[in-house]
Amino acid sequence: MGPGTALIAFVIALVVVATVAWPRRGVWPRLRQVWRLSERVRLEDALKHLSLGEHEQVPRSIESLAGVLGVSRSRAVDLLGRLEQMGLVRSGAAGIELTDDGRRYALRIIRTHRLWERYLADETSLAPAEWHDAAEVREHSLSESEVERLAARMGHPLYDPHGDPIPTAAGELPPLRGVPLTALEPGQRGTVVHVEDEPPAVFAQLVAVGFTPLARVEVLERSDSAVRVRVDGQEGTVAPVVAAQVTLDPLPEAAMDEDAGATMADLAPGESAIVVRISSHCQGRQRRRLLDLGLVPGTLVRAELDSALHDPVGYRIRGALIALRRRQAEVIHVRRADGAT
Amino acid sequence: MTTAGPACRTCERRGPELVQLGGGAFDHLVALAGNPNTGKSTVFNALTGLRQHTGNWPGKTVTRAEGTFVREGTRYRLVDLPGTYSLQAASADEEVARDFLLFGRPDVTVVVVDATHLERNLNLVLQILEITDRVVVCLNLMDEARRHGALVDPARLSKQLGVPVVPAVARRGEGIRQLVEVVERVARGELTPTPFRVRRHEPEVERAVAALERTLRAVWPDLSNARWIALRLLDADERIEQAIREGELAALGAGGDAPPTDPVAAKQVLEQAGRLRWTLMPDFHDRLMAGLYREAERIAGVALRVRPGSGAAEFNRTLDRLLTSRWLGFPLMLGVLTVVFWLTIAGANVPSQRLADFLIDFAHPALKQAAAAIGMPGWLNGLLVDGVYLATAWVVSVMLPPMAIFFPLFTLLEDFGYLPRVAFNLDALFRRTGAHGKQALTMCMGFGCNAAGVVATRVIDSPRERLIAIITNNFSLCNGRWPTQILMATIFLGALVPAHLAGVVSAGAVVGIALLGVAFMFATSWALSQTMLKGEASAFALELPPYRPPRVLQTLYTSLIDRTLIVLWRAVVFAAPAGAVIWLIANARVGDASLAAWAVHWLDPVGLVLGLNGVVLLAYVVAIPANEIVIPTVLMLTVLLAGTPEVGAGAGVMFELDTAGAVGGLLQAGGWTLLTGVNLMLFSLLHNPCSTTLYTIYRETRSAKWTAVAGALPLGLGLATCFLVAQVWRLAAG
Repeated sequence: MGPGTALIAFVIALVVVATVAWPRRGVWPRLRQVWRLSERVRLEDALKHLSLGEHEQVPRSIESLAGVLGVSRSRAVDLLGRLEQMGLVRSGAAGIELTDDGRRYALRIIRTHRLWERYLADETSLAPAEWHDAAEVREHSLSESEVERLAARMGHPLYDPHGDPIPTAAGELPPLRGVPLTALEPGQRGTVVHVEDEPPAVFAQLVAVGFTPLARVEVLERSDSAVRVRVDGQEGTVAPVVAAQVTLDPLPEAAMDEDAGATMADLAPGESAIVVRISSHCQGRQRRRLLDLGLVPGTLVRAELDSALHDPVGYRIRGALIALRRRQAEVIHVRRADGAT
Repeated sequence: MTTAGPACRTCERRGPELVQLGGGAFDHLVALAGNPNTGKSTVFNALTGLRQHTGNWPGKTVTRAEGTFVREGTRYRLVDLPGTYSLQAASADEEVARDFLLFGRPDVTVVVVDATHLERNLNLVLQILEITDRVVVCLNLMDEARRHGALVDPARLSKQLGVPVVPAVARRGEGIRQLVEVVERVARGELTPTPFRVRRHEPEVERAVAALERTLRAVWPDLSNARWIALRLLDADERIEQAIREGELAALGAGGDAPPTDPVAAKQVLEQAGRLRWTLMPDFHDRLMAGLYREAERIAGVALRVRPGSGAAEFNRTLDRLLTSRWLGFPLMLGVLTVVFWLTIAGANVPSQRLADFLIDFAHPALKQAAAAIGMPGWLNGLLVDGVYLATAWVVSVMLPPMAIFFPLFTLLEDFGYLPRVAFNLDALFRRTGAHGKQALTMCMGFGCNAAGVVATRVIDSPRERLIAIITNNFSLCNGRWPTQILMATIFLGALVPAHLAGVVSAGAVVGIALLGVAFMFATSWALSQTMLKGEASAFALELPPYRPPRVLQTLYTSLIDRTLIVLWRAVVFAAPAGAVIWLIANARVGDASLAAWAVHWLDPVGLVLGLNGVVLLAYVVAIPANEIVIPTVLMLTVLLAGTPEVGAGAGVMFELDTAGAVGGLLQAGGWTLLTGVNLMLFSLLHNPCSTTLYTIYRETRSAKWTAVAGALPLGLGLATCFLVAQVWRLAAG
């Protein structure tokens, strides 16, 4: 075999391997995707849809079910029939409703989904846009004991990263609270309690503006076509229909004050500032690390040492010189110290 | 006499095997806790006389070290816990430390506190005081604090904390005697600390804590730290929940012979905690930490007097600015590393030669004769002396001198505090590939020895980034591979240019290969971050400790003991059987040829496609244990197959020739070309890690899967690279 032939053979082999194994677009990942959408998964997704409808007090219909699962209406009827046979759903006076068994089953799926999202948000560095899809896969494959181990390891989190409550192991789900963002008048402020994560395009827009649970929002301006807001110090504009996907806990006027919008990353070398708070975007292990270093509200910090490539920067924190990357410094909100530069 | 405590699965310190370790029983158990980089290990060494390696690098003691000391007939067992900033059990280190303090029930806990960073250290002290009463604070680095203008008043601090405070300079042994005295008095109960405990949380927190504490006390009346346990339960601490479920908590209260906990009561406690959690603010944990730091700040304010503008702090800042400056940072770093490598290579030459003279040229024939003289059969003689002994001798003579130079130099830089600055400067590059800045250090360490580099990844505290550092460490060209590179470059590349340029060209080629390795390291880190170890770079907090004058003699001693000798020992353990295998394949015959000849015959076509040959492939297969013996094996096999025994030392006997020219002649006679030489350099960089490193990777990851990845990935890359180079080469050559 001549060198030319060998090279061509190698390139062909490489192309074949890439077509099969390429992440997400390859043949193998796609096959897995199809396989994932098995009967059981469809049934579980249907249960979840019905259960969320109950919780949010939005009636569910065959049409909504078909829409969410991406199947035809007749297929949706088919699925409901199967669920009825299994004793998980019944068609009552008020339309489709869950039986007690069905409710328990659905809450377990929701618990797994939200816990897994929480896990992805806190312990891995997967991008927010990828959480939901990853959790959609995992919710069907994790066993009950695996879920409980995960919950224990993460300190039994109460909310998922979108602010949705995680059902307890006993199947309890606390009531939703808050008002939609569109209910706030200009000048009013609130803390985000929930960001709807579906459809993905809308969620991506909301994330881009900075909406995450516990983020502080001020409505600056409202018109019929746009809502201008300040989210954790950062200004942005969204369409009202998108804004309605955010639920807020309105804050009393007095509680807001402190955000001048500066973060530790804005400090020039030699500048000092007082920590106001760690942004709600930073959760889990990363947040605990920062707190352990003493970055609690009221702490005096000073940008002291620039690295050769300007990132990370060394900060003087409680006497110690700690290097933080820009992305981490950006989550720490500060107030510039008066005269202490 | 302390009785054996019950159930503590993660810290079986009081079990019978521990008593044996100490050469008998002990009277008092002392725990040593503290922040990372506070000189905890130095205090440990000062107390026990044991030489544990200490470095100016946060996060050294990842596994627990133990030692003993005796004072006036009383035996103390000292346990050095991992350095942590907190005890929230957010990482493995914190869990080990916390579990020991809680379930190991030490008689005395010594908290080593860095006097220069009092506030941050007090955060940990306050957390420990919540768990146990019998605490002694060792206020270390008093000299450094003085130099930096921080004057801590031990008496005031002691009054605030309610526990004894002993000032010390552990590096010079100051204050250690006093520390032992105080520890003794606390252990004997002559001194009873009355620790300060943070009591002021917000009303809703206090309400929840009070309710849960009442329940805990009702179920376990003897519990001494019910309040702390209540707080941990509200913070959803998994380990504490487990302790309640499995009855460990009951044992804590009653000193080991409590009646088993009623499972119903345990379940009720957990359920109550779960319900109370819903009543708390979502940022409950933040508030707890803020409360602790508020107190730490207050106490430090009382005990600390800062004298501004001290010379040492100024010097520190100036040096920092210089070493991390935009224009000088990288040139200085490259300069320092070049000097380290140059000293290693140049300095190792002569001792390596001397060792080889003795172990190979003198001792080997002598041993052979001695074995023959006592009537050992020829095959056994060959197997043991030519195989096992020679391979081991080779590894020792090639490996020991460079490591004995490289590691101490590296340790001196570490001790001084320069290495964290290297990580600081290089982090931007590593961040872009999804890796951790500290990987810069483990990479440099890999240039000394990959196994040591893999162990060093322990300083990286996020699991994903640590795995990346482990898997890519093999791309650092280790000491064992330098000789191969230098030899090949001299024979095949140096010969291409006029004699006066030969040295420069071959040195440049070796540096080029090393840089290629760095490029592969970055590319692989990036690729892993995109696929198998998906994710962006996670949290990164790198402490830049103040510069400290390095202690030369101590460093030499300790780095020799704990890096060089340990690595060498492992290499020898793996090399000895490899020697036997090499001798056997050269001597065992099947049909009319030796096993080696058959293997080479089969491997030759594969080798040809890869631009190598069967001899090289076979040498890499049998020399998996140590890269050092690849060249001697290659030479032995070449001679064996060329049938020119007058050059070599006999079948299965590895050898080397005095001059590169002689080796070159031999290899060319064996059919080697420039392509073979270049591809051997590439393959030597890109192939599976040696078995010592693989074993170390397995020990560190505890995962067969990741060990397999770490082995297969560089091998696959090496095969592909050699293949491509060979084909393109042949195409270009027509």
